[in-house]
Amino acid sequence: MQSVVEFDNVGLRYGTGAETLTDLSFTLYPGSFYFLTGASGAGKTSLLKLLYLAHRPSRGAIRMFGHDAITLPRDRLPGFRRRIGVVFQDFRLVQHLSTFDNIALPLRIAGILEKDLQSPVTEMLDWIGLTERADARPATLSGGEQQRVAIARAVIGRPEMLVADEPTGNVDPEMARRLLQLFEALNRLGTTVIVATHDIHLLQEIEGAQMMRLDKGRLSDPTGSLRHPPRPLVLKN
Amino acid sequence: MLLDFALPAHDRKLIPEGRLSGQTPWVIAIMLFLTLLVAATGLSLFDAVQKGGEDLAQQATLQIIEPDPVARAAQKVEVSRILRNVAGIAEVNPVPDGDVRNLLKPWLGNDVIDTDIPVPALIDIRFKKAPDDATLNALKARAQKVAPKIRLDSHSSWMAPFFQLMSSLIYLAIAIFMLLLIATSAVVILAVRSTLNTHRATIEIMHMMGGTDVQAARLFQRRVALDALLGGAVGFAAAAGVILTLGGRIAAVEPGLLAGASLPVYGWVALAIIPLAVTGLAMLMARWTVVSALKKML
Repeated sequence: MQSVVEFDNVGLRYGTGAETLTDLSFTLYPGSFYFLTGASGAGKTSLLKLLYLAHRPSRGAIRMFGHDAITLPRDRLPGFRRRIGVVFQDFRLVQHLSTFDNIALPLRIAGILEKDLQSPVTEMLDWIGLTERADARPATLSGGEQQRVAIARAVIGRPEMLVADEPTGNVDPEMARRLLQLFEALNRLGTTVIVATHDIHLLQEIEGAQMMRLDKGRLSDPTGSLRHPPRPLVLKN
Repeated sequence: MLLDFALPAHDRKLIPEGRLSGQTPWVIAIMLFLTLLVAATGLSLFDAVQKGGEDLAQQATLQIIEPDPVARAAQKVEVSRILRNVAGIAEVNPVPDGDVRNLLKPWLGNDVIDTDIPVPALIDIRFKKAPDDATLNALKARAQKVAPKIRLDSHSSWMAPFFQLMSSLIYLAIAIFMLLLIATSAVVILAVRSTLNTHRATIEIMHMMGGTDVQAARLFQRRVALDALLGGAVGFAAAAGVILTLGGRIAAVEPGLLAGASLPVYGWVALAIIPLAVTGLAMLMARWTVVSALKKML
């Protein structure tokens, strides 16, 4: 099976400090769903940053979508980033843009015409239950609403890979489940989903969820999924 | 560049309107006002030097320094007749003796002029084209056959220091013009850097979503272009007011050296182009600043 991401002996060091991530070697397969867990400071966010190409590793090799991501020229990064959806832990919504415009941002960056993005953005607003708040600025939204907007923005472009950092941390259990359904639906369409979370209940929501565990920058593979193509996912009812 | 300026309305919202603006258009207006005044001064001087230099180079004055008034008057008539028959001469104007005395009276007084001092006879000569030294020497030799004591002065030679000064002032104007353009560019760079820092988070988000450096640069280019156009319009209006007012004052001065100092039509065209050129320069500086800064990001 063709991989989406391959890490080979990857290490990440900020400045001259100790390595934040050490000897990471794993493969992520298309259409699979991974949970990334670990204690605070274990390196989850750093690993996600490598996955969404915000950083280059200090050592090792990364292949992404069949290309060497380490030597990828800077001017080719935008094309790769458009294939990746990101939900940031701190949402990173554009404060002066409305809910609608925040969600439409990836489509506009990709050059989608205005007439072609109205429908998907409106649908997405409906999905996350924020149709009434389409014109609201992020500052006027609750934490949970902002998180839903951040998720909608990450998935609107139907990315090939979705990277989410604690995506359900600020929403109630019902909304968390709806958002997971959204991820799962996207996953069924072929998107590889990587969700970093502390939420043990979330891990139990999806049957057959593959789990990656980070401990002090090193990766363990409790479900054995990283070296073997995962089983199809089933969302528990 | 023009296409970059015409951003869709939704893209314009990525960087809030008015944030970059603030004081920037007014600073650009002041810089452009000064730039245009310097440019107008330089262009007027250049035009005056061109016109005046060409005019003066075609003129010469012949002095007959004969002490005997009767002989001097006869020589004046004869030399004038000879000069009128020279092929390269357009006009020969013997200056009336009364006019020469009037010129000297303020310095020497009425009594002295009329009695004691032999005043030279003057003949103004206008050539069809600026004569070279050989032509002047040949003309002098020809005149000396009937009037041995003469002196022939080309106007361009005694006006040379004045035109050298004018040329120096033009170079100074060019230097100040360039310095002001550099200062205006620096203002734009500082404004863009400041705005880039303010909106760094937005730009980073755009990057993470696959936005290119050029896409980000376009947002800043548009804002800078609007600021520069607004500043340029204000600066041009103010400078035009000053130039027209000064032009009126200069025109009211008695004809002389200042009479040639007016802004020619091509000067006004150049002044109108400068704000547009500065807008283009500002957009280039904005693009360069943003792209340079973003290259430091991954």
